[in-house]
Formats: sequence, C-alpha cells, structure tokens
Amino acid sequence: MNAPTLHTERLTLRPLALSDFEPLAEFYESDRSRFVGGPKRPDETWRALASEIGHWTLRGYGRFGVDETATGKFVGMVGPWYPHAWPEEELGWDLMNGFEGRGYATEAGLATRNYAYKTLGWKTAISLVAEGNEGSANVAKRMGATWERTLDHPAFGAMNVYRHLSAEAA
Amino acid sequence: MGHRDIPVLETERLVLKGPEPQDYPNFKATFTSFRARYMGGPLNPYEAWMLYAAEIGHWEIRGFGMWMIHDKETDATLGMAGGWQPAMWPERELAWIIWPEVAGKGYALEAVDAARRYFYNSGWEGAVSYLDPYNLDSVRLAERLGCVKDKEAKSIGDDDAVYRHPAPAALNDTQLSHGIAMEVSHYQDPAFKPKGFALD
Repeated sequence: MNAPTLHTERLTLRPLALSDFEPLAEFYESDRSRFVGGPKRPDETWRALASEIGHWTLRGYGRFGVDETATGKFVGMVGPWYPHAWPEEELGWDLMNGFEGRGYATEAGLATRNYAYKTLGWKTAISLVAEGNEGSANVAKRMGATWERTLDHPAFGAMNVYRHLSAEAA
Repeated sequence: MGHRDIPVLETERLVLKGPEPQDYPNFKATFTSFRARYMGGPLNPYEAWMLYAAEIGHWEIRGFGMWMIHDKETDATLGMAGGWQPAMWPERELAWIIWPEVAGKGYALEAVDAARRYFYNSGWEGAVSYLDPYNLDSVRLAERLGCVKDKEAKSIGDDDAVYRHPAPAALNDTQLSHGIAMEVSHYQDPAFKPKGFALD
C-alpha cells in the first residue's frame, strides 16, 4: 500500500521515499528531535524511515512526506500513526529544521485529520506531545485538540495526550 | 519496489513471499524471545513491530529485502531469509532467522540457497553475512553455504564477523554447488532424519 498524494494550499503530501533520508537524518541528529524520539544516528534514522514506509503496508495508512509546493523542499512527516503497542490511533507531525513558525504542521495536520476521518473512517484521534514540546502542543491546540491526560510511554517517557475534535465535530 | 511487486520464490518444501501483516505475530514471537539475541533482541513489542515495518520498507527503498519463509504444504511461516542492507552496512548481506520451534530441518539452508541464487541471477556479484561469532548455528550454516570468514572486510560493528559468500562463478556447476544441492535434497527427503546437533 502506497500513500496517495494530497494537496493543501501551500503543501503537497505524498509517499515517503529514500530521497527524504538526508533531511531526516540531519533533523534527527539535531537537538530539535529530542521531543520525537531523537537524537538518532543516521543508521537509526534510515531504519525509522523504512518503518514509516512499512507502516503503510501493515496498517493500510501511515505518515506522509510533506513538501513545500512552491519550492519542492521537504518540510516534514505528518499523518496517521499506529504502531503495535501504541495507545490509540495518532496523528503525528515532525517538522524539519527551518520550517517552524509558518503553520505548516497545522496545515498538514488538518489535511491528514481529514484523511483519517473521511477516507480511513476513524472516529477520533489523539496526538502525543512530549513534556516541554510547546511548539507541538500549540499545533495540537490550533487544530482544535484539547489536553486530555498524561501518559508514561514505555519508549518515549512522559507524554501529553491531546484529543482531537471527533469525526462528527471536525 | 512496491510491496505488491515482491517476487515469490518456490523451492521443494518452501515458498518465500513478502512479509504480510498477518505474519507479524510469528515474527514478534521470535524477535521478543531469546532466539533474537544475535539480531539485536529480545525486542519489546513496539520495537519488534517497527523492525517488521522496516523489513517491508527495506524492499521499497532498496528493491530487495527479506522474504517470509512459508511451508509449502501448510503455508505456516518458518522464519525469514533474504537480502539486507540498511544504512551503514558496508556490503549487501544475506541474512536469515528461523523460528526456534522449527529449527533443525534445513529450512534456512534451503531458503538462503534459493535467495542467493535469485540475487546472483539478478546481477549480484557477491554477498556477505555479518554473524556474531557466538551464533554457532548461523556460523555453521554460512560454512555449509560455502562462506569463508573475511578478516579484512569492514564489518557492521565490533562484534560481528564477516562471512563472504562464494562468488557466482564458484556456484556454477561446481563441487561446492553440488554439495549444497545434495545437502538440501537430503533435508527434503522425508526419510532423512538427522540426529545429533540441530542445524538450521
């Protein structure tokens, strides 16, 4: 199963590919990745990219690679995420260095929420936000999600669970 | 290579197919067990699922990868075998794992032999296997497949030895290839009941 391609006003959401490895490796080596499972060595990031792609086959959905339509630059990975042992179906977003503060995560997040509700038939979704990751918490809030509870994640430690608007309310 | 394009290989007893979602519980059972101690395990369920997803993504990224080994009669999964080259791997690897409860029946030998022939027929000039020296079952299997320890070659870490597979020409109607075919055929013979130390 490969990802379809979605378009928003400024962004193109399309299947992840090996060409995304270098910007991902750079992001995951940087300190900014500390809230999303990093920092990681490049070989760990390569496997994580392979896992993101395999997620589509195992679940029939997964995260999209997001490009800035005007420039073609890779700005991040956004979308539905539900590996084994995950608390619930999640909408996740990782924004590459230099693309913060433009509303891209919110724009792509809303497009993938719409995809999860309309195409995948999800009724609800959460987003996990690491303690201290204010930028990501603000994305969740801008999307209309509300803080629900904290969770001690076995791999990522203390996480805040944000609950998105339901499929009916969205 | 998309997941639907993964080739299917058949041998006398086995069918090698791309990893499917419904095969995951068997993969998880082995990779969360002590059996996986030479492959970075035991893993927790999240890590096992992510690795399984990576096995599938590897096909997409590299155009080759690890097949799920199925029993031709029952379709039950027996393990995995195939090609593996994540980032930082100096060379393309032939890799395998057999579920512990079906070890000792020559399945890994039969599957890796088939995978190696497939890759060599599609243009590979050679391959290595990165093996923990304590993983004696796999070291023995590598040797039965004609591998020779290559002390000069770069490995994937401090612990793993590099076993170099014979080049395609060394398997083209040679004493070595006949010997491997004969051993495979022994295991395929229902009357063959190996005794002693179980070999994959």
